[in-house]
Amino acid sequence: MTSPTDASENLVHAVLAAQVAELRNRVDSGAMVELLWRTSDVLAELSGLVAELAGRCHHSNAELHSKCNAAVEAEIDLRQSLESLAFEQAQRNDFICQTVDCVVTALERLAAADVRESPRLSPNDLAALYVSEDQRKVHHAVVRRFSLAGSSGCDGVESLGWERRGK
Amino acid sequence: MPAILVLDDSPTMVMSLSRVLKNAGYEVETAANGKEGMTKLAGGLKPSVILTDLNMPLMDGVAFIKEARKSPATRFTPIIVLTTESSGPKRDEARAAGASAWLTKPTQPDELLSTLKQLLPK
Repeated sequence: MTSPTDASENLVHAVLAAQVAELRNRVDSGAMVELLWRTSDVLAELSGLVAELAGRCHHSNAELHSKCNAAVEAEIDLRQSLESLAFEQAQRNDFICQTVDCVVTALERLAAADVRESPRLSPNDLAALYVSEDQRKVHHAVVRRFSLAGSSGCDGVESLGWERRGK
Repeated sequence: MPAILVLDDSPTMVMSLSRVLKNAGYEVETAANGKEGMTKLAGGLKPSVILTDLNMPLMDGVAFIKEARKSPATRFTPIIVLTTESSGPKRDEARAAGASAWLTKPTQPDELLSTLKQLLPK
């Protein structure tokens, strides 16, 4: 049977999981990436029209012809930059979403665990959820910090709060 | 025109990869995970190169590569892994499964296209 304290902790973890999941929706910049690609499409279409105009005014209006050509060239540079930005942003977004998903999964497991039956979530269980080396670096830095604290008389890794509860 | 099969569970990534590849003149087929990718291959799709993410639901990238390597149709098809992972053990696992190349996100379009070009059958 789950004690009131355990139930309260489970609730806290469930609330935190929901809050981080909500945060994920807010940081997801997929819509922005889509907008960048659409902007690139529209620019390409407009550039095509300007190029056609340049062709038509080649003899009748030299100044307009020159301006149109300059605009087409500027558009090519701008579109390349936009597309590189969209591609990079899509990857960064993917990285952020996967990292946040990892935290949500960990919190959901903590929320669902019956602490008397099994350890809630060991550092190794947590590490198995990681999707990048950056996460592992942070993990190792925290473990090292806890180990140092432990060697100076504090709880150390025990403070992660799972070993004491395991059978 | 060479066809590329792209596997990624992020719709934003699929859209962005498709755009970059189509702009470079490739035909693109997509799948949201390894299982869907295998279904497309079983349906007769013959990509020149496969580009896959690692962390996907239902069937992840490594499991997909292992499955694809079992099929005579894709035993020698170049497979590029594009992932947030940069760790040595994960790379070794993917290489052992049969991956041909590895790119860590974020990568630039030029880097992706140059890797593709190197792996495309001559």
